[in-house]
Amino acid sequence: MLCQNCERQEATTHITKVVNGETTATHLCSQCAANLGYGDFLSGFSLNLGGLFDSIGNEKRKSGQIAQTRCPKCGSSFEDIAKSGKIGCAECYNTFYEKLLPTLQRIHGRIRHSGKVSEAACEENKKQSELEKLRCRLNAAVEEQNYEEAAVLRDKIRELEKEA
Amino acid sequence: MEKWYIEKGNQGDVVLSTRIRLARNLREYPFPAKLDSAGRQAVNGLIKDAATADGNPDNFSYIKMDELTKAQAVSLAERHLVSPEFASSAEGRALLLTPDESVSIMLCEEDHIRLQVMKAGLALKEAFEAADAIDSKLDAKLKYAFDDRIGYLTQCPTNLGTAMRASVMLHLPALTRLGHISRLSASVSKLGMTMRGAYGEGSEPKGDIYQLSNQITLGITEAAALENLDSIANQLVGREREAATLMLEKAENADRIWRALGILQTARLLSGDEFMELVSLVRMGAANGLIELELEKINELIVSMQPATINAKQGQNLNPSQRDAIRAQAVREALETKN
Repeated sequence: MLCQNCERQEATTHITKVVNGETTATHLCSQCAANLGYGDFLSGFSLNLGGLFDSIGNEKRKSGQIAQTRCPKCGSSFEDIAKSGKIGCAECYNTFYEKLLPTLQRIHGRIRHSGKVSEAACEENKKQSELEKLRCRLNAAVEEQNYEEAAVLRDKIRELEKEA
Repeated sequence: MEKWYIEKGNQGDVVLSTRIRLARNLREYPFPAKLDSAGRQAVNGLIKDAATADGNPDNFSYIKMDELTKAQAVSLAERHLVSPEFASSAEGRALLLTPDESVSIMLCEEDHIRLQVMKAGLALKEAFEAADAIDSKLDAKLKYAFDDRIGYLTQCPTNLGTAMRASVMLHLPALTRLGHISRLSASVSKLGMTMRGAYGEGSEPKGDIYQLSNQITLGITEAAALENLDSIANQLVGREREAATLMLEKAENADRIWRALGILQTARLLSGDEFMELVSLVRMGAANGLIELELEKINELIVSMQPATINAKQGQNLNPSQRDAIRAQAVREALETKN
């Protein structure tokens, strides 16, 4: 059986949930199970403080340090979000994407959007990821001292940035 | 201009109205809770400009909430044009409203944009199409916060994905009196929907009016969510009709309805609660052919007899007994007998 989430890997984690007498079965590969918070049954169990604090605690234990990731745009930490139940800004979803997935899974039962798409935003998202790729290639080209390619890449980046 | 709620729509005997609400945010600005007054004003200005561009085809008027009296603000909530929460705090908030009040856009409520379209009766598809068209126009002019994986980004993760909340306002007097509501709302919640009081979260169902809406917004398309809701709403309509027919076979139930009409036609003082209780019975009689009375007229009364709406219309804050007298008079006039 394939994983219901990525539909690529073999499902090795099988979860049966009983909510209000209704049984649902979920089959995931080990990677998706970990991403969705099923690897550690203590973490991310609810949107309230307890559950989320626990997942923060786990991370601290793992990394052995207390450094806290903050959203580069609005400065929210994951703790702030857990406490208020409110996301700070659009960029928070990027910054804390992996950590939010278990909560999204719990609320909606699914984690992949289907429905209307913002045309303008999609254009913009495509442009941003294209820019990211070009910047990576530019760095590589500079490191390899391939200045000819670097110049071409730099021009392309400038062009795209101007459009955005 | 005729307000949308004066019309009677599809399944209008049970379904008062349909509402579609879309939540949207601007990518460049923090969500409203993290936005200061200047930020909110900037956001409101951008959205206002986008909505009224190209000659303001939808004829939106722009209302700054802090320029309204408390009664005017609460009256907007009583007419379901804004949320009660939105009416309770005016700071940095504004509203775009069409003349027939069928389209309203709350600015800087929980999200930057809360676009809602109301239609009389059961009209999910029509209401969605209208909301969708306005949304697409705004999308072309504003930079929305949208993620390919999780859809429209919202301040509360419960709205992610389509960020669409569709609701249907149902009048269920017979099912309420037969004690079926709690069982029905339990089964509805298993299907990813919720049924609660007419004014949303935490509100008491007054006048046996309930709001049925979709809960899940991520991973389900708008069309599928609307189809589910439509099917459940139609089933509830069927159940209510059966229950009402059963109830009205008993002489004492019909008698209660006639008595309720009698009180509404003659009372000199009517409190809000008493009015809602009696008008619900009268509406049940009219919806099932017992009383000859236009449902549009009753629907209009239910909206216009709410306390803040009366205050706002009178242009002053009345004390409860003054208000009860005005309410009783307006109801008598509306339900006057010909003989």
